[in-house]
Amino acid sequence: MQDTELINLWKSYDKKLEENLLFNKKNAEQITELKVQSLLASMRPTKIFTIIIGLVWVGFVDLLIINLFLVANPFFLISAIIQVLLTKLAIGIYLYQLILIHQVDISEPIVETQEKLARLKSSTLWVTRFLFLQLPVWTTFYINESMLENGNIFLFALQLVVTLTLIFIAVWLFINIKYENREKKWFQFLFSGSEWTPIIKSLEFINDLKVFRNETH
Amino acid sequence: MKLQADFVKTIEGNKGIIYKIARSYCKDPDDKQDLIQEILFQLWKSFDKFDSSYKFSTWMYRIALNVSISFYRKERLRQQINQPLPESVLYLKEDNTTKDLNNNLDQLHQFIQELKELDRAIIILYLEGSNQQDIGEILGLTVTNVSTKVSRIKERLKQKYSSLNK
Repeated sequence: MQDTELINLWKSYDKKLEENLLFNKKNAEQITELKVQSLLASMRPTKIFTIIIGLVWVGFVDLLIINLFLVANPFFLISAIIQVLLTKLAIGIYLYQLILIHQVDISEPIVETQEKLARLKSSTLWVTRFLFLQLPVWTTFYINESMLENGNIFLFALQLVVTLTLIFIAVWLFINIKYENREKKWFQFLFSGSEWTPIIKSLEFINDLKVFRNETH
Repeated sequence: MKLQADFVKTIEGNKGIIYKIARSYCKDPDDKQDLIQEILFQLWKSFDKFDSSYKFSTWMYRIALNVSISFYRKERLRQQINQPLPESVLYLKEDNTTKDLNNNLDQLHQFIQELKELDRAIIILYLEGSNQQDIGEILGLTVTNVSTKVSRIKERLKQKYSSLNK
């Protein structure tokens, strides 16, 4: 099919719509009366709420660390410091998402806007990576001197196996949760719910965008 | 009230393009109606902020395409709409278009829907008669880049048609 044929076919579509497309004025007026936020703005309260809860938690753990620094056992202190650092990074991502929500203007050029929207969605994956990364500290914060002095070899071995396994899983997931692994079975198992689909599609879009921008011929 | 009246009048004047963009990104009739509603809602939300120093068509295309591309990426579309209206704003009545034309249009739509989201936006704008500079402004690309992409997409469409005729 030649260019002119394509354009003429599209023009005949215009003609068809002109003759058959009906406009319901009353329903159009109803849209102007809807008292709802845009989809993007509706994401803001949840993010702000999560940040507030995160800050309260971080404040609480920071206070514990500062006040107990000289008396607490090193397992608790190191576990709490790692956990609070990772939570701070996750809060940072939520702040980044709020900034992106504020910056997105859908009347701006499409490539730029879609990139911001895709980055907004896909950054949620970073929060997941940080959540996995903090898993091992939940198996170490309670260890104290009394446990070390009175424990038996079986308990030590169990503790070591559980903690080392979680360290391995956490680090492995942190490194491997990325777009390139989206086809792998474990990835699809972890992110199989429909709530993850927009995030995975956003990753695909960012990848497509790279190709789109680099296309020269 | 004047703003509302102006908006409704503007939408009525541009109903064809809104319908065509929604049709290009959503095949399912229910999803398409939801997308039309979302586009109209977003146009209304931004209507009073429209800067008249820009072309109205550029502004409208940007919003309609931005909404369509991000809407397309979502799952469970119906549940995500703000507040679905019971009836449609735009709908096609039974038409007397020839079967041949309808088949050709369905074929073209299918080919367009097989393209990536951004390529789809480019070909819609091209078929709508936008020049390369306007397409560049709407998408945020240089004229050279648009020119390259338009040629490549047209070539791909031609290949699809030629494979169909084999």
